[in-house]
Amino acid sequence: MSEDAKSRIMEFVKTQKKSKLYFNDLCKAVPEIKMMQAKKIVNELVNEGQLKYWSSGSTTMYMLPSEGDVDKEEKGMN
Amino acid sequence: MALKHATPLIDELEKGPWPSFVSDVKRMAPKNPMCEDWLGVMELSYKEKEGHWKHGGIVGVLGYGGGIIGRYCDRPDLFPAIAHFHTVRINQPASKYYTTEVLRKLCDLWEPRGSGLTNMHGSTGDIVLLGTTTDNLEPLFYELTHELGMDLGGSGSNMRTPEGCLGMSRCEWACINTQDIIYDLTMEYQDALHRPMFPYKFKFKSSGCPCDCVAAIARSDCSIIGTWRDKIRIDQESVRAYAAGELTPHAGAGGTEKRKFDINAEVINLCPTKCMEWDGKNLKIWDEDCTRCMHCIRVMPRALRPGVDTGATILVGAKAPILEGAQMSSVVIPFIKMEPPYEEFKEFVEKMWDWWMENGKNRERLGETIQRLTLREFLKATDLTPDPRMVNTPRFNPYIFYDPAEVPGGWEHDAAAFRQRHQA
Amino acid sequence: MAFDPNNLMQDRITDIGPPKYDKFFPPIVKDNFGKWKYHEILEPGVLVHVSETGAELYTVRIGAARLISIDLIREVCDLADKYCGGYLRWTTRNNIEFLVSDKSKLQPLIDDLRSRGNWFPIGGTGNSITNIVHTQGWAHCHTPAIDASGVVKAVMDELFEYFGSHKLPAQVRIALACCLNMCGAVHCSDIAILGVHRKPPFIEHDRVQNVCEIPLVVAACPTAAIKPKKVGELKSIEINNNRCMFCGNCYTMCPALPLADGEGDGIALWVGGKVSNVLSTPMFSKLAVPYIPNEPPRWPATVNTIKKIVEEYAAGGRRYERVGDWINRIGWERFFEKTGLQFQHEHIDDYRLAMMTWRTTTQFKF
Repeated sequence: MSEDAKSRIMEFVKTQKKSKLYFNDLCKAVPEIKMMQAKKIVNELVNEGQLKYWSSGSTTMYMLPSEGDVDKEEKGMN
Repeated sequence: MALKHATPLIDELEKGPWPSFVSDVKRMAPKNPMCEDWLGVMELSYKEKEGHWKHGGIVGVLGYGGGIIGRYCDRPDLFPAIAHFHTVRINQPASKYYTTEVLRKLCDLWEPRGSGLTNMHGSTGDIVLLGTTTDNLEPLFYELTHELGMDLGGSGSNMRTPEGCLGMSRCEWACINTQDIIYDLTMEYQDALHRPMFPYKFKFKSSGCPCDCVAAIARSDCSIIGTWRDKIRIDQESVRAYAAGELTPHAGAGGTEKRKFDINAEVINLCPTKCMEWDGKNLKIWDEDCTRCMHCIRVMPRALRPGVDTGATILVGAKAPILEGAQMSSVVIPFIKMEPPYEEFKEFVEKMWDWWMENGKNRERLGETIQRLTLREFLKATDLTPDPRMVNTPRFNPYIFYDPAEVPGGWEHDAAAFRQRHQA
Repeated sequence: MAFDPNNLMQDRITDIGPPKYDKFFPPIVKDNFGKWKYHEILEPGVLVHVSETGAELYTVRIGAARLISIDLIREVCDLADKYCGGYLRWTTRNNIEFLVSDKSKLQPLIDDLRSRGNWFPIGGTGNSITNIVHTQGWAHCHTPAIDASGVVKAVMDELFEYFGSHKLPAQVRIALACCLNMCGAVHCSDIAILGVHRKPPFIEHDRVQNVCEIPLVVAACPTAAIKPKKVGELKSIEINNNRCMFCGNCYTMCPALPLADGEGDGIALWVGGKVSNVLSTPMFSKLAVPYIPNEPPRWPATVNTIKKIVEEYAAGGRRYERVGDWINRIGWERFFEKTGLQFQHEHIDDYRLAMMTWRTTTQFKF
């Protein structure tokens, strides 16, 4: 079930217009799963390198590892 | 040795009796080029009256969604050593006791890996290491966990590093073991601290008594404030000693000399609930009227002490102004015993988080979600019962959302019966 | 095993949390935990805590900058080693406390601290003005309207006599936040210094589509003031300036929306807040001065205004009255009269629930 949920989340992320998504956006891909449980699944996706975090310092978002940082001009520096 | 950048403006901040951060950093500058360039960028900001930092989305070490804040200088041409200048937050030991041994180790660890500048401490309580580069983050984390037994603090949409007052470690008024509560919550919710799941930040703060030395009521989404529900303990002999001018009132806070002390003027008449009486020999307190404001205890600490049936008042929802305006925390649990392993409290916390995660909008603090969806909904979700202690006054607008379940027939009218009684 | 940059998972330790709180307690604190009976301030900055066991712990509190170097921490460690058996702590307001369990070392420590110039001022207890809690400012923040450390230094220099004395009616807590986000929440302080932007961000239309992701910028605005807009051939955004509350979220997401402006930015001052439940209930700070220009390096107008407020409070406040209690007793009309501050349009609330602050009684003072 967790593998299925993972692939649904990843499918969702890949089809979004925005490169960065909030946690509750990700949860929309698996509406039947409690958010506390969804958190564990998302943790696994991060640990497996399928998703990565992006933070404004005050809030955190999720993105694909292939996406750059907020400031594309900074790309060379990261 | 002359420094790389002339700093005539910030040099003005070396004058005066208060410790100067400029003098401190200047001392560091000859041995650390980051400090040298940092002085340069500060001087530029002082000249232009504008900051020179850009944000970066970097968040942490592998597997962590918080603890590191990315910073880049917007004038790397002038200040190359601080082109990258990220922040590292380290979870402080609760209420900030240290040995020199651990502090020296921390300094030794930080020295080769960044600017050597710190904040002791950040607003939320973390030890803050200011200014390092991305390549230093993983080794720094490795050394921190292996050599110091320390871990990163929170940032972003995580539970933030909890903090408490120093409580029972050095205060006679602590009604709860704030340090143990904070340590226990921090350990129990490590995953929430390191990996984001909330709509926005979430802060716990705990003060041992209503004096609230960590500002829990103003600054934490969940405030745990020590209190008692029995009687203030009175040592009548010491009360008489204060009255006779033999003891320094207010523990010396208003002047350390022993002085003539008028109990009626300084205590009895100031009591907000007027629940005390002094007949010249004995102090009488009507404890059932006391709201535990701490004034009499603070002014006569050797005569009065909080009661012994202690616990905490739980309040929720404090936050700084953006977006809906500043809020203070509101009472939702007037009294709860706070004893390890704090199971009853944690059950409440998890119900609260479930509700907030399901219902909170992105970037909405708990207090704002409650404001939008009502305290009633919050209380229902957390299985709490309404109590007059939760409000300053009952509502004074008539827009009551009656529960249809409690109205006979719900929201449905019997139209036919109505029309039998009334012509159209 | 040593750190291996090519194998981050090797030996990796995570989620160990902070050291347990009692790990760094001095023995006297371990032995008397929960047994403290009373305390007394012996002189400003010097406390004794007495236990039911009869044990006495002496504390010497000193002011420090929040921004400090490892050199300074090491110097503090030298002092703690010499006089405190290596034990010390920080307070929530960036003060350092030397924990002395051997009374014979108390006076030598105090003398030593006093011999070291302006590095280690003793005070911050009782009815003093203790250290100012503050944010990063120009030192490290990306949306500040003002500096933090420098303003704090300038204000504390001017109010220094109140740090090492107990001559005020009650304690005065000052806090500074360098923008409205208030990452150091200052909204319940006796005196709050707040950095304010007065100009919404400007839009670099030629950069937006290259360096920003427009849907994210639009979503980042908490008041929904940002909309996508085409400017000629360029994909960009537009901002409804009337809705901007200067939080800088859009700048965080999009560096082509700079917010800082040397001439527009400055300081607002707020007074009369408190967090403690002592006597009166907690209060928000209220607007005293809507705008003072940024005046680095020593912010004289800000410093002098704060000093004037403190002096009026020191003269008029009754024993145990916090700044807010004093103002509530004399009335806001008297506060503005006594401090000479001008009451302007900005002081009258026009945000949500503004009417809760309007005067709905004929009781006021002429």
